[in-house]
Formats: sequence, structure tokens, C-alpha cells
Amino acid sequence: MKLYSLSVLYKGINKSNLLKAAYDLSSFSFFQRSSVQEFMTFTSALIVERSSTGTRSSIKEQEYLCHVYVRNDSLGGVVIADGEYPSRVCFTLLDKVLDEFSRQVDSIDWPSGSPATISYTALDSYLAKYQNPREADAMTKVQAELDETKIILHNTMESLLERGEKLDDLVQKSEHLGTQSKAFYKTARKQNSCCEVM
Amino acid sequence: MAESEEEVDVLVQRVVKDINNAFKKNPNIDEIGLIPCPEARYNRSPIVLVENKLGMESWCVKFLLPFVHNKLLLYRQRKQWLDREALIDITCTLLLLNPDFTTAWNVRKELAQCGVLNPERDLYLGKLVLTKFPKSPETWIHRRWVLQQVLRQCRPRAAEQKEPGEVELGGAQGSPPNERLRRVLRDEMKVCAEAAGRYPSNYNAWSHRIWVLQNLAKGNLKILYDELSSMKLWVSTHVSDHSGFHYRQFLMKALVAELSRAADASCGPSQDLHRSHWPNGDGVGPAAAEESRTASVPELFGKELELCTDLIETYPGHETLWCHRRHVFFLWYHWRKEQSQDVGRQPSLLNHTDETLSGSLGASAGRNVQAMDVDLALEESKQTSYTQDSKRLKRGPLQLRPGLPSEHSFVTKILSGCRSPEQGRFAAAYRKWLDSVIVAADTRSGSVKIKANMNKRISKRKTKVETLLP
Repeated sequence: MKLYSLSVLYKGINKSNLLKAAYDLSSFSFFQRSSVQEFMTFTSALIVERSSTGTRSSIKEQEYLCHVYVRNDSLGGVVIADGEYPSRVCFTLLDKVLDEFSRQVDSIDWPSGSPATISYTALDSYLAKYQNPREADAMTKVQAELDETKIILHNTMESLLERGEKLDDLVQKSEHLGTQSKAFYKTARKQNSCCEVM
Repeated sequence: MAESEEEVDVLVQRVVKDINNAFKKNPNIDEIGLIPCPEARYNRSPIVLVENKLGMESWCVKFLLPFVHNKLLLYRQRKQWLDREALIDITCTLLLLNPDFTTAWNVRKELAQCGVLNPERDLYLGKLVLTKFPKSPETWIHRRWVLQQVLRQCRPRAAEQKEPGEVELGGAQGSPPNERLRRVLRDEMKVCAEAAGRYPSNYNAWSHRIWVLQNLAKGNLKILYDELSSMKLWVSTHVSDHSGFHYRQFLMKALVAELSRAADASCGPSQDLHRSHWPNGDGVGPAAAEESRTASVPELFGKELELCTDLIETYPGHETLWCHRRHVFFLWYHWRKEQSQDVGRQPSLLNHTDETLSGSLGASAGRNVQAMDVDLALEESKQTSYTQDSKRLKRGPLQLRPGLPSEHSFVTKILSGCRSPEQGRFAAAYRKWLDSVIVAADTRSGSVKIKANMNKRISKRKTKVETLLP
């Protein structure tokens, strides 16, 4: 039951920009961590870009679940979790974080912001605290308020894409991914990870 | 980028040496990994050592692996001699790349048997391998072979006097064998836990864990209890890990068997039995421990079901939790039947225990268990809306005595309050299982009383008797 990343992004007209992010990569193999982090950034940005404002969605990709909330003011948040972590708690967390962020960081800074320019430091501690889902003290409250029927469910990342768009192409073009990560992606796609030797 | 055979040979020698040097330089290496790196950088070693992590750049693997593999095979076919040091280094390199290459482990077995290789080095190598290949069957299998060697070393006398595995940890010998085995046991538990964390439902890791307890700590109540309590947090954070819960089911079975055995024996000898497991000064005084443990089979089940209830309610929609409930309840039911079938003092002993437990909880708990019957169940199912507060209040006092009525009320409670369709399905299936498997078992053995109570409750439902064994 794990949370891997928590990101705040701004959904611009054509693309989204990352404002701040926190990651917990401790469960990944040491030498894969930097690639994994890049992929999480890439995924979070893509999800926010392809989600409409005013929506909440959960996207399943392999053994991960990505939960996103894009507010009407185009501020968005993405939590990447595993399949066991209760999604309700993720949405509680997103509400809380985006609310706090919008009060601490002036909206004028959002469209052009980046992790270097934005000063909001609470993400790491939220990510750490919420590793235990029972930390969501208002969990029972949210269970009553959150209307789960409005959460859009996607079974794959592919379903977010436009017709004809391929994830492979987006990976190759992405500025969030370094060359090593792109190479890693290529070989990982080819292999059956269960029987991997090389 | 075609490499000549000579170049490959040079490269491979260098890599094997670099790996060996890395271990010499840092004896605390605790993880291996592959670095995605499609091309070699000029004259740089593909072996990277960062903190306590040993990495290998991926480009070299396609040269390294076939070459080293072939070298070992040539040795095996007696076409090429390799001295002991070379064998150790080559098998090490091979296994870090492909741990399921049985021949490499077997060569190491031979080296161990000659006395050239300390078997505990293979425990370390295996541990490293498992950080990258947490399921590797051959690694686990070899590990068990090594542990058998270690056990043989700690128990120089053959197992004629005692049951195999019975009193290793608290041997009459004194500290050294104790300490070593204790340390080995602790390390095994850690290795299993780490491997279980690296791959979901890692059957090989959990089966190994069970094997270790069965062979290195047989009949050790303290260890069984410790494992049960230390695993509580783990399963609570891995609620869909079937193998983790299966381990708990094994612990429950083992504990019940040991506690029943101890209870059957008369007071005198059983106390000695417990005392011999752990030397004094191990924390818990023998007499007190005895009392609190042997009284506890119902409490054990009660607590386990309580844990299961808590998890089912907190994390709706996980089939693993419902499967676990079936296993635990079935075990409980089976144990109860065995107890009541024993003639003589057993029934009265049980009654006495029940009263003590109810009494210690306060009057409400014990009596509520029986009262949580038909009426309460019907009442709850009539309610259409459930606020969170009323739900929390209705969780009520602890139940230490599991039973069919309380199981049925639990299912009804879940069904009336749940919003997850999977949760609803699992709850309904559990109820069906209770009705058909448990009740059918009762009917077969001639006990009709419980079935009569069931019929009152399910008068409007028609149930088909199917066997829904988990």
C-alpha cells in the first residue's frame, strides 16, 4: 500500500507545467530511481494535459493507479499510488494539497512556474504522512462528501490519448525524460519483465 | 561494434575482477542492479559502486553472460580447469546475472562440501541476488541447502535423542550454537520480508519463510507469537498479498497445534517443555508466559478475526481479506469441533475459560456475543441509510468468541453499509460459504441445532448447497 509521487501542476492551454513534486522511490531498485522519477513526472504532466478542468479521474497503468484532480482554476494535482492504496484517501489528499497550495502561492505565478521558482514546501511531508492511509483524519468525512460516481475511470493511459496518438511517440518527444530513460523505456517495452535476465 | 574474441575475453576478465574488487572494497554491499546504459563509455568499467549498491551497466551483459556461462560449462565437462578462486569468482558473477542457472549453485555446493567455501557466503550472495530477482526459485532452493548445512554444523550430534528441529535454539549445549542459529533465523526472516516487499504475493519467499520456521524453530511458541505480531503491520499494509496472509494462516495453525499439545499434557511436563525453549533471562518468566499462552486459543482466533474485520472495513473490495477470513473461521470451527468431541474434562475446561474471558472483558462483551443473533441482524438490515457515526458505534465491544451468529451479523453489517460492488460480492459469497460449507459439515456430523437457527434467519432465501471451498 504505497504512494509514489505527489505533484502539483498548472494546466495551461496547450501543455501543463510542473509546479512542485514529491517522490518516494524507496521501493524501487536503486539504479532505476532516476528514470522512475522522470517517468512519474512525464506521466503526471500528460495526465493533467489530457484531463478536463473540473474533473477527477483514476487511471490504471500496469500495477499503478494515477489519481488526478484538475480544478476549475486549472490547478491540478496528481497522486501516483499502487493498486491497494484506497483511492478515496488520494482524493482527500489532493483536495487538501491544492487548497493549501492555492492559498500560499499566488495564482499569477502558476502559468510560468517551475519547481525552482515556486516556494511551497509541504509536499514531502504530506507524501510521508499519507503513506499510512489512516492518517487521513478526515477520511470518514470525505467518504460521505465525495461523489464517487463522478470519478472518471480509465483502464490504461492509452485511453487518455487522442486518436492515432501513440504513447511511444510521446515518450520520445518528451522533455521530461532524459536519453537514458528513453532507452530504458524502449528495452522495457520489448522484454517480458518477469523473465528478465538482461 | 563487433568485438573480437580476444577483446571479449579481456573485457570479461576485467569485469569479473572489478566485481570481486568491489566486494573486497565494500563488504556492506546490500543491493545489486542493472543500469540502463545502451553504450559503453570509453575505457570505463561497467561496474559501478555507489554507497552500498553495486550496479552493472547493461551494455556489457550480452558479452559477459554467454562468455562466463560457457566457461563454467567447459569446466563442468572437464574441458577446462578452473582453480577454486576462479570458480568462486565466476559463479558469483554468473549468479548475479542469472541466479536460476542451477549449475553455478551446484558448483558452489561442491566447493562448500570440500570446505573451500564457507556456506554462509552463499547466504550473503543469495541475499544480494534476491534484491534484483526476488522470486528466483533456484536461489531459494540453494538457500535451504545451505541452511541445512548450517543446522548440521550447529547440531553435531545426530537427531536420535530429540525430534528433528525441536530444541535447537535452546539447546542444552550453551550459547554458541544458540547464538548462531538465532542470528541465522533473524537474518532469514529479514531476507524473506525484503523479498516479499519487492514482488507482490511472492510465493517463493513466503514458502521459504515457512520452511525456516518448520526446520529451525519447530515448536517454538515464542517465535510463532513474535512472528504473528510482527506480521500484523505488514499484512495491514499489503492487503492484497495472498501469500502474506497465507503465512499468517500457517502461524495460526502452528500456534493452535502447539497450544493444544501443551494444554493436553498435564501441567508439570508442559512447563518444562516451555522453559527448555528459551533460557532464563529471555524476557518473559516461564510460568507467566505459560499461563497467558495456553489459555488463549479462543483469544487468538478472536484477535485474528478482529484484525480481519478491521482491514475489511477499512479497505473495501479486497478478496484476499475475505479468503483470509474463511481460512481463519474454518480453522476456528474445526478446532471447536475437535474440542467438543473430546470426552472428559475438555468441555468443562473450555467453559471455565469462556467465563474467565467474558468476565475479564466486562459483562457486556460475553453476553453480547450470544445476543448478537437473529434480532440484531434483522434490525440492521432494515436500516436504509448509514451515517459514519452510527456505523462506528455499532462496531461495538470486542468479540472474543467467534461464532456463526457473529459472522452472519458481520456480513449483514458490511452489506448494508458498503458502496463498493466488489465488497458486496465478496460479502455475499462469504455468507453463502458459511451456509453451505460450514453448515453442511455440521449436518454431516449430525449437529442440527445450528442449522435450525440459520433457517430462521434465511427463511425467505433459498440456498443451494454448493461447496464453495476457498
